[in-house]
Amino acid sequence: MAQMSTRTEDVLLTKNSNVVVRFIRQWDIQLMVWPALVLIFIFSYLPMYGIITAFKEYNVLVGMNASPWVGLQHFRDFFNSPDFNRIMRNTIVISSLKLLIGFPAPIFLALMLNEVKNRYFKNFVQSITYLPFFISWVIVTGLVISMLSVDNGSINIALERVGAIDGPLNWLSIKEYFWAILITTNVWKDIGFNSIVFIAAIAGVDPHLYEAAEMDGAGRIKRIFLITLPGIMPVVVIFLVLAIGNLLNAGFEDILLLSKNPILWKVSDVIDTYVYRNGIENMRYSFATAIGLFKAVINVVLLVLANRLARRWGSSLW
Amino acid sequence: MSKIKKAWLGSAAGALVLATVLAGCAGGSKNNNAQGSASASPAPSAAATGSGSASAPAGTGWEFGSEPLTVSLYGHYDWYAAPPWGEDESSKWIRDNKKLTMNFIPSANNSKQKLTTMMSTKELPDVIWLDRGSAEYEMLRKGGMLVALDEYMEKYPNLRTYLMKETANLLRAEDGKLYQFPNWYTNKDKPIGNAGYVVNKKIYEELGSPKLETTDDLYNYLKSVKEKYGNAIVPFEPDQTIDGQGLDVLYSAFGEGALNRWVGNRSYPQGDKLTSIFKDPVYRESMQYAAKLFREGLMSQDAMTQTRDQIKEKILNGKVAVYACSNPTEFAPEGHEKLKEKDPNAGYFMIKPIAKPGLDRSKIYPGTYATLGWNVAVITKSAKDPEKVFAMLDWMTGPEGTSVLHWGPPGKYWEGVQADGITPVFKDTYWQDSKGLAELQTTTGQLQWVGNTVFQDKVKAQYEDTLPDDKRSWQLKYQYQITWPSSADATEYANLMPAKNSDAGIAQTAVEDIYKESRAAALYAKSDDEVIKIMDQADSDAMAVGYQKFLDYQTERWQRNLKIMKGE
Amino acid sequence: MNRLSLGDRSFTIFIYTALALLAFSCFYPFWNALVISLNTGSDTSLGGVTFWPRDFTWENYRIIFKNDNLLGAFGISVARTVLGTLTSIFATSLLAYGMTVPGLMGRKYYMVFFVVTMYFGGGLIPTFILINNLHLMDKFLVYIIPSMINVWNMIIFRTFFKGLPDGLQEAAKIDGCGPWQTYFRIVLPLSGPVLATLSLFTAIYHWNEWFYAAIYIQTDALRPIQAVLRQILYSNIVSQNVSNLDAGSVAAMARMQQVTSKSLSNAIMMVATIPIILVYPFLQRFFVKGVLVGSLKE
Repeated sequence: MAQMSTRTEDVLLTKNSNVVVRFIRQWDIQLMVWPALVLIFIFSYLPMYGIITAFKEYNVLVGMNASPWVGLQHFRDFFNSPDFNRIMRNTIVISSLKLLIGFPAPIFLALMLNEVKNRYFKNFVQSITYLPFFISWVIVTGLVISMLSVDNGSINIALERVGAIDGPLNWLSIKEYFWAILITTNVWKDIGFNSIVFIAAIAGVDPHLYEAAEMDGAGRIKRIFLITLPGIMPVVVIFLVLAIGNLLNAGFEDILLLSKNPILWKVSDVIDTYVYRNGIENMRYSFATAIGLFKAVINVVLLVLANRLARRWGSSLW
Repeated sequence: MSKIKKAWLGSAAGALVLATVLAGCAGGSKNNNAQGSASASPAPSAAATGSGSASAPAGTGWEFGSEPLTVSLYGHYDWYAAPPWGEDESSKWIRDNKKLTMNFIPSANNSKQKLTTMMSTKELPDVIWLDRGSAEYEMLRKGGMLVALDEYMEKYPNLRTYLMKETANLLRAEDGKLYQFPNWYTNKDKPIGNAGYVVNKKIYEELGSPKLETTDDLYNYLKSVKEKYGNAIVPFEPDQTIDGQGLDVLYSAFGEGALNRWVGNRSYPQGDKLTSIFKDPVYRESMQYAAKLFREGLMSQDAMTQTRDQIKEKILNGKVAVYACSNPTEFAPEGHEKLKEKDPNAGYFMIKPIAKPGLDRSKIYPGTYATLGWNVAVITKSAKDPEKVFAMLDWMTGPEGTSVLHWGPPGKYWEGVQADGITPVFKDTYWQDSKGLAELQTTTGQLQWVGNTVFQDKVKAQYEDTLPDDKRSWQLKYQYQITWPSSADATEYANLMPAKNSDAGIAQTAVEDIYKESRAAALYAKSDDEVIKIMDQADSDAMAVGYQKFLDYQTERWQRNLKIMKGE
Repeated sequence: MNRLSLGDRSFTIFIYTALALLAFSCFYPFWNALVISLNTGSDTSLGGVTFWPRDFTWENYRIIFKNDNLLGAFGISVARTVLGTLTSIFATSLLAYGMTVPGLMGRKYYMVFFVVTMYFGGGLIPTFILINNLHLMDKFLVYIIPSMINVWNMIIFRTFFKGLPDGLQEAAKIDGCGPWQTYFRIVLPLSGPVLATLSLFTAIYHWNEWFYAAIYIQTDALRPIQAVLRQILYSNIVSQNVSNLDAGSVAAMARMQQVTSKSLSNAIMMVATIPIILVYPFLQRFFVKGVLVGSLKE
């Protein structure tokens, strides 16, 4: 009880009051935060000196300090690379498509599931749709490749039968289709898993609101827009902000495995596949670090901008 | 990341291993930083001082097996997972009789990071097994972490005997010392390789067994296949063309003495220089031919995208008429058996290399090999007693080690040795229980870090020569008849790849992308002219990213190889 | 039912059809992988194995389960998943709640401090040296401690906690609850859905994670199941490739080989994922709409 009264005082204290005293008085709240601050400091901040390798020509055997400085050389190499423009374009396009289509899809699924009255059917569908998340990309892409195969691929057979195409198409060799195939596969794989958090959010919506809306004569679709969506909006907005702050991570394994045909590289090569070929495979540790740093900086800028927009809807990361 | 590797395993590792031969990653690179190498040149004697080796009398080495030895080994490959030591018959015998314990450090499918972390704390295993001349090897060597082997090589008999002098010289670092203990090295009179054309017997006979000698014959044959069977049969299956494969085999058909090693190197010789592959008339013509096959539906339309599983399925079900790649003997024998089960007259056979009309077929080489073998083992300075570690490797590459690791411990498949004192005497179980032997070899194959092709193949050939044809496998038969005789020695073109973190290496990575894209684009080209246009464009694009630097490096290495091989 | 309008009814039909189709498309690949894992590899490579095994075998699973380490590794994985999830969810949710308590000094700075780590890291080598210096190398705790605070989860928790009815905290205050009591007695019991969701995410992460084992663990007995399964897979796949070196053995091998990399990798995927997939149905009761909030309000 004594604590309680001090807390009330806190609120009443003026800005001039001693910060240290205020801080000590709320030790019980701070104690919730500080252990995490210490852990994060140790495991995330202490190793951060590694970022300087982006400005050095790091040789593991020579060590961090003795490796020579090269300044912005690695960044210049990356920006001046003849592939730079297409890599950035592909990264942004693929990421944006994943965001535009892949982000709303699980919300849509969660909303649909919420409209299902039969609990068993609902639980069944939920449990099934999250299975693809656990199938490795190698197996998923293997299935996609064989489905789209010229030689007896089921998609070609089906389309031929309904007369949509004259002869089998070599889907994975045609640039124009690549993004669509990639995004579809991604949405399919992650939709169930990603919907879980929205299902959880919907579960938190006060059921009384639905009753009230129903009494007012709102139909089902209207209720979704009036009650459910506003109810989960804070979660949606935060996820959207985080997703925008992830824009330069367009994916890696899915792209690498689906774009085995070099004819597609003009539309498929993204930052991560580029770093993999030019940095990691070649033991160019500093180069890979530099591009990672570049990505992080851009992502943070995007995050800050997105968060500024989000604040207008009343949500904010900080 | 992990899974990608797995997907590539079928092709990458398979191709790597068997095309020991073709494996491109080669060459103790010459870094621009000459100082680095000078300052870092390791002193083997210093490493040996204070260790057991000092006690060994000069001239004679430590006898492997005379006292217990524990060696740690790290295989620097994502896919490498050593079988538990002592659980198969061979390693059990070595453990019990030679008192050797191996500690394997797993790469856990994460080899690059694993090695990097070990290097960061300088706690290295005794032996690292890795690609010849790779960036990692260069880094370790320049960092002074490796033990030179020359001194030990004098003291121990086997590597000295079986490794040709010139091959050893090719493996030497620029400081003149030998750090790399090669794996599956061979010598000149022993060509190896599996590349060539496999033909579906039933289809061939149904079409009247036409002559298949020239590229025109092949084209006409593929056309008649298409006419008769439509989409049910793939006329020409080139395997996964992203790795060259069937396209590289076709390349060899358009030039006498044209080596697909050149395609692999992305450069071909003109005078005493290596020059742009995009300007190579043989390469251009072969790509026009390939594009024609592709355009007219005579080649698998999935050639660029298909998985290994899809290819295997086609071969096993007899759905291809002609199958060509660097290693058709991987799937074809199984397909041959499967087809024969259903119809005794069906199956697969191999044909002698195809040539462009007017060329001499005996000078066409669909496959190449190099005496350097596949990869190497290096001994690090973390080894407490590098000489003993060398003694172990030397034993493994010697007759006894090779016999035990390849044909099991004495008593089961072989017993005793012939008059020469080294060649094992095989028992009938060798071919009676070929299943059991094969099973053993799948395990011990992963324990052969310093395989000796010279000895092993000689012994095997000696024995298998005495076998009647029906006891020879499909594969062996065609290796004897076709693939080995049509495999060319490309040792002088081996070791031409720069370390990937050097300037020439960085250019190489960029050229590689251009090369692959252009080859795919050429395959999809609508006309012969378009193929040429794509090649010209690729050439200028590649030059813009430093192709010339890469070519200069290769030329220099090639000339160095030639000098070494001439014994200069 | 009669009261349903035509629009409502077609809406229902649409939803059920769409969900059923989606469910089927998600189920089939998984089922097919299961079928392939129960079919001999050599038969699978002939193609056409779809809904039912054609040449049934346990061989793929036999190879996996003959590994002695598997049971121990399973134990390590379970221990790691349970402990790792409990500690991480507790620590992270406590942090997240602390960050929502009104009047917390320095909140904005703390948040920036945390968010920065989502984007900037030192990379593998400095982290490795740190773990080495902390003597966490080759210790079970390396699975638990470094990943205890998950900033992303913290943000989600915080968003959900903020969505709790405002009146609750006030009521708690009036009842004389300090922040810790509020957290334990009010916030946690009301957060069933988000706790279930993030526990699931964290558990899946711990179950699937193998990188720590690859880099920081040397002792076989401490390796989790994912690491062991990877080793089984790679040692078996590679054997096919290494054996290529020997001219004579391949044909013989191909005949005897019931197991291929494809059949084996599918079986391994099953062994690796089925235990963690089974967690979800048990968590579903936490997703029932508004039960907890509703009951408390009345």
